Amino acid sequence: MNPLGNKKLTVVTAVLLLIVSVVCIFPFIWMMIISLKTGTQTYDPSIWFFSPTFENYKNIFENRHAVDYLKNSSIVVLLTTFISIFIGGMAAYGFARFEFKKKENRAFWVLSLRMLPPMASVIPIFVMASLLGILDTHLVLIICYMLFNIPFTIWMMRSFFEEIPVALEEAAFVDGASRFQVFIRIILPLATPGLIATSIFCIINSWNEFVFALFLTSSDASTLPTTVTLFLSVSGVVWGEMSAIGIVTILPVLLFAMIVQKYMIRGLTFGGVK
Amino acid sequence: MIRSYFEKRPHLIYIMPAIIILGALTIIPTIFLYGLSVTNYELGYPTFDFVGLENYIRLFSGKDAEFWYSVGISLGFMLLATVTQLALGFWLAVLLDREFKLKFLVFACMIVPVAMTPSITGQVWKLMMNAEYGVLNYFLQFFGGKVVWLSGENAFWSTLLVDIWQNTPFVALIIYAGMRSLPTDPYEAAAIDGANKLQIFRNITLPLLWPMILLAVIFRAIDSLKMFDIPYSLTQGGPGSSTEFLSLHIYRLGFAGTGWIGRSAAVSVVLLILTTVISMILIRLYRKGVENKG
Repeated sequence: MNPLGNKKLTVVTAVLLLIVSVVCIFPFIWMMIISLKTGTQTYDPSIWFFSPTFENYKNIFENRHAVDYLKNSSIVVLLTTFISIFIGGMAAYGFARFEFKKKENRAFWVLSLRMLPPMASVIPIFVMASLLGILDTHLVLIICYMLFNIPFTIWMMRSFFEEIPVALEEAAFVDGASRFQVFIRIILPLATPGLIATSIFCIINSWNEFVFALFLTSSDASTLPTTVTLFLSVSGVVWGEMSAIGIVTILPVLLFAMIVQKYMIRGLTFGGVK
Repeated sequence: MIRSYFEKRPHLIYIMPAIIILGALTIIPTIFLYGLSVTNYELGYPTFDFVGLENYIRLFSGKDAEFWYSVGISLGFMLLATVTQLALGFWLAVLLDREFKLKFLVFACMIVPVAMTPSITGQVWKLMMNAEYGVLNYFLQFFGGKVVWLSGENAFWSTLLVDIWQNTPFVALIIYAGMRSLPTDPYEAAAIDGANKLQIFRNITLPLLWPMILLAVIFRAIDSLKMFDIPYSLTQGGPGSSTEFLSLHIYRLGFAGTGWIGRSAAVSVVLLILTTVISMILIRLYRKGVENKG
């Protein structure tokens, strides 16, 4: 029985859901359409049927250094995810399996870091990074992204670890295994789906990050989201290229998001809703 | 001695690396931020002076109208965005809460806004909202309408619209998950007692969904308060300063054009305190709800 009563899909709800779905994907489809149009076609929204051109994609890879942006994004995202999963995963196990004083307070302190406005951290980090001479490097972004990836990993992985029965570990302890051996040999293999899902969410969040990337990089380490700055002043001139680079930016995240669809709600709520 | 300290607290080995890194990454910059906010440091100038609370006095003496305007629209945006997205998300969750074959497709569509890079979202909506060549006005023309979406009057509402597009599916997914996990017993008991629909909703559904709703409110309220990506690529804070939300105000003061790091640090401190207070209140409410339940 459904608690809220009505369970049937009426024509009205079906139509409403169709409209919602179309509204949700339309901007993506529209950007795709513009990216496949030629220069003059982009300014005429009434053209729906045309022979697609890949000119815009060719241009962004040849003239707008799209490969460099892709490379920077990939390096930063992969390294920060790897480090965050390692450090955050350890901490998550600590929170999941041990009882200690003020445990929940510490866990919620970790969660509250997610609420920090990046705009407030980025000013001092900008000044500090320029003193250290690490502005516009991959390193500074990798470090900054740990600021939101580690709290996320701790909360996500904690919820996955807590689902693994304690009895499994106790059996291993009886056999003489140490806590760390148990963690590596028993817990981690069992938590692999969770680790993969968490990593993918870290990848999505880091890939989409904009504030740190905008302030802390200028040319050598700029990531894909910062390409919006290329098209601020002269909007209306190169809509095709603008859309092409937008598509290049969001396609990977959409792909990853579809892979973790099953864990989507859990990921969006830091493991709060399963 | 150190050894026995760690043996008594085995959890420390696991959680210390993360706590130390997170602590260093938040406490040091925060102290630095407070430090910067009492200087007149400017980008490109090697020397600076301590000016005490001058930056703060300027903000709170009432002379800085731009600052108060930013505070106003940021708080207004936070309220409007959270309330609208909660209402729409709830409605969408009710629509979804039934069995049908193509549900997975609807979910796949709803995930597009959730996962889309926010700065790119702003950019594609800028194309769609273009007054002359944008597709929104192309559709509206069939109904004989035309809206200058990004004019001084409309830009705030257009930004709100884009934020609603991007984040309503997120709220809907959370509340939907909550509805799916509702227990059936209380409803059966209520049916036996002859409760009406409104009573059931008010006394059973709402309290059971409360943690989910709060969770959605926490994320949406805080994220819309500190929002930067969408207005940056959609309006650049303009036209004029009509959509200069707090984050954009900080950006303009400190980086675009003027380079007054000291003054923008003071505004950042205000934003930091604002988000901290609001998130503390909401997280406390959430913890109360969760801990009472379990």
